[in-house]
Amino acid sequence: MRRTAAPRAASSALLAVLLAAVLGALLAGASAPVRAQAARAVDAYGQLEDPALQARFEHITAQLRCLVCQNESIADSNVELASDLRRQVREMLLAGQSDETIFKFMTDRYGEFVRFNPPLEAKTLFIWGAPFVMLLLGVLIVYRIVLKRSRMPLDDEPAPGSM
Amino acid sequence: MWKYLLPVAAFVALAVLFAFGLNPNRDIHALPSPLIGKPAPLFNLTDVMDPARTISNAALKGQVYMLNVWGTWCYACRQEHEALLDIARQHVLPIVGLDYMDQREKAQQWLTQLGNPYSGVAFDTDGRTAIDWGVYGAPETFLVDRQGRVIYKFISPMTPEVWQHDFLPRIEAARRSGA
Repeated sequence: MRRTAAPRAASSALLAVLLAAVLGALLAGASAPVRAQAARAVDAYGQLEDPALQARFEHITAQLRCLVCQNESIADSNVELASDLRRQVREMLLAGQSDETIFKFMTDRYGEFVRFNPPLEAKTLFIWGAPFVMLLLGVLIVYRIVLKRSRMPLDDEPAPGSM
Repeated sequence: MWKYLLPVAAFVALAVLFAFGLNPNRDIHALPSPLIGKPAPLFNLTDVMDPARTISNAALKGQVYMLNVWGTWCYACRQEHEALLDIARQHVLPIVGLDYMDQREKAQQWLTQLGNPYSGVAFDTDGRTAIDWGVYGAPETFLVDRQGRVIYKFISPMTPEVWQHDFLPRIEAARRSGA
């Protein structure tokens, strides 16, 4: 009895700890800002008058990749193209366009690669899903190892059949 | 069986990934253009050489043409200039220039000194036309078919080899197909 009950308890405890860690990490990730507010590139225009528009401006430009530098957003980059694109975002916001329209404007011209956060669709399912699949795989592997080890006799315990 | 196959499969998958990812010939800056197959964005800009003249690609509808994005600040554009002059001498198709992020005087000087392969050079003062075409550097060269659709984008300096292998066959195919 003890042989089958103990491993199960151990492995379910381990599973619970793992799941708690994952959940905690996800929650922490969701509540943290997308990126640290590092040095932002500055334009001659200054801030938008409407704070709500300014907030959307900051959000959108932080989500668009500068294709010249590729690992910087257009909010951070000082390259001329980034500045031109910031002007574009600004003008579209002032013209009352929605965030989606602005993102579509960019992807129509530069492709999905301009978005740091590609929307969840059929073709992006893999990149969004892969981390979770990997995680599940890892949990399964750990689970199997734990299960296997817990069935092994302890060192100070006489091996079954030796008595 | 799985115990042995799985590591081997993982190794092969990783090797394939590295073969693509670490290939030194792969240009990580060359991104596929979403414009391929779509109508070429229209522009109406002044001519670099003559500000009183306007250059519009709407006027080119009905013929296959090439749009070459360049600027005097762009070192690679200087490299490809000879190849463009050579292509222009073959009179295969009109080459429209789009002078990007540049100063008019410098561009004029460049064309006067090095020769002008273009049927006309549009001066993109504020970079808006470049944004419409999804330009993010120079040189970039587009091919537009007779219906005014973008059929090809090449990111890198033009060379006689690229012209032979990537452009000529596409130009011929574009002329054969459709009205």
